[in-house]
Amino acid sequence: MAIKKKRYALVIDSRKCINCKACVVACKAENKVPVGNFRNRINEERKGEYPKLSINFEPEQCHHCTDPSCVRVCPTGASWQRKDGIVLVNYDECIGCRYCMIACPYDARYFNEEEGVVDKCTFCSHRVDKGDIPACVETCPSKVRVFGDLEDPTNRIHELLSTRRYRVKEPQTGNGPQLYYLL
Amino acid sequence: MHEFNWGLLIVVYLFLGGLSAGLFFAAGLANYLTVDDKPVYARVARMGALLAPWPVAIGSGLLILDLGNWYRFYKLFLHFRWQSPMSIGSWLLTVFTLIAFLYLFAWLKEDERKWIFSKIPATWKQVHRLNVDISSWREKIAMVGFPFSIGVGIYTGVLLGAVSARPFWNTNLVAQMFLFSALSSGAAALLLAMILDRKNPIEKHETKFLVTLDVVFISLELFIILPYIIHGQLSSQAVKDALTLILGGPYTVVFWVFFLFLGLLVPLAIEVYELFPSIFKGREFHGSRNMALTAAGLVLFGGFLLRYIFVYAGQMSSFHRMGMLQ
Ligand code: SF4
Ligand code: SF4
Repeated sequence: MAIKKKRYALVIDSRKCINCKACVVACKAENKVPVGNFRNRINEERKGEYPKLSINFEPEQCHHCTDPSCVRVCPTGASWQRKDGIVLVNYDECIGCRYCMIACPYDARYFNEEEGVVDKCTFCSHRVDKGDIPACVETCPSKVRVFGDLEDPTNRIHELLSTRRYRVKEPQTGNGPQLYYLL
Repeated sequence: MHEFNWGLLIVVYLFLGGLSAGLFFAAGLANYLTVDDKPVYARVARMGALLAPWPVAIGSGLLILDLGNWYRFYKLFLHFRWQSPMSIGSWLLTVFTLIAFLYLFAWLKEDERKWIFSKIPATWKQVHRLNVDISSWREKIAMVGFPFSIGVGIYTGVLLGAVSARPFWNTNLVAQMFLFSALSSGAAALLLAMILDRKNPIEKHETKFLVTLDVVFISLELFIILPYIIHGQLSSQAVKDALTLILGGPYTVVFWVFFLFLGLLVPLAIEVYELFPSIFKGREFHGSRNMALTAAGLVLFGGFLLRYIFVYAGQMSSFHRMGMLQ
């Protein structure tokens, strides 16, 4: 039997986001992210003046791009992409040149000063490989985040992306970002 | 504030890499220009050959120190990743540096060569076998080195230009801009060194050669920079937004006043002023020492600023609405 192809992606219903930052905290704890660095963030967009005011919260992290420019520029192959689409850094190969940070259009990477290597969101691949979901997805109290496999028609994100309107951020980068924001 | 991942060391590295490329190119060219089969610019060629390998060697050292894990730099040479400009560039720079050192060796005088080998312990027999006269190879080494020096000059621009995420860089003009700036810095550095070398005073025809070379390169550079700006203005919104960094944004003054005016137009004007009477009025070329010194110094200053502006402004440019990112 052929092994089924996988393609992990994250759907984000950002209108439900209340900026509680539980996902940011959960990620830091799960992945032991150094003080001062973050693998995910909540972008804030303000419009208007009080009382005609609106604020949008939009969670963002590595988009695990289909055609990741970070991987393309890495001189050692330390940045790489798994068959299921997850983009990772092999810390033993990384020389810390930071070219990938500059090449990422979404500013998704950070430099781990202590280790001298670059790091970023891994989609919690260590959990996903055990059949779990990423820590940020599990934690989110308002169910903003839905993680799943695009190749699996029975998956919830399949249903969401077929029935709801969505956008990806800056598609003109040509990277093929895989965070889908529901409208 | 946007955080800069690449800082001053990268600026210096790109500048020094380009400088070596330019020095080698000018030195190689000088080697080829002969009158009645006699090289007329042999002293220029020798000075260039003696200087060329050092900037790039120092620059590469600095780059390695800038790495998060500098002792892992050898990993650059365990892989060849053709899609990564940095990977190609590391190989290119290494080969070029070796060629430049070989060229230097070919230009050493007999007594200089003997002196160097006299410092090496006599028991190192294998090393002493390298004590041979290769001065007859000069032309061949220069010819092999030309494409590599051009390659290095281009590479310093491609390293930035190939980054699709940074609209300030991601145009196909940055590579040529850096190349011509590198060649012009090389000619200027050579001029500066020849003038400052009081033991062998520079001769008029040598000054004229280097000044002419520099005028050509500066003009080429100028006519890449203007299209870069015009093209950018006619390009997509992201590129237009990126250009505001030098058209009203934080890098406007350094770009227009210090780089374009002081680092490019003023030296160009000085050099044209120097050449004009000898070319158009048939008078003898005088070549004022101070004028040449000023022009050469300004060209080097401008070359450095160009890298500075591009490295920093480029990192600030992005596809996001700029400034929205905290
Ligand atoms: S978002 Fe950035 S770091 Fe993540 S895969 Fe895309 S280019 Fe690479
Ligand atoms: S910092 Fe590491 S992962 Fe990034 S491009 Fe350099 S070697 Fe590759």
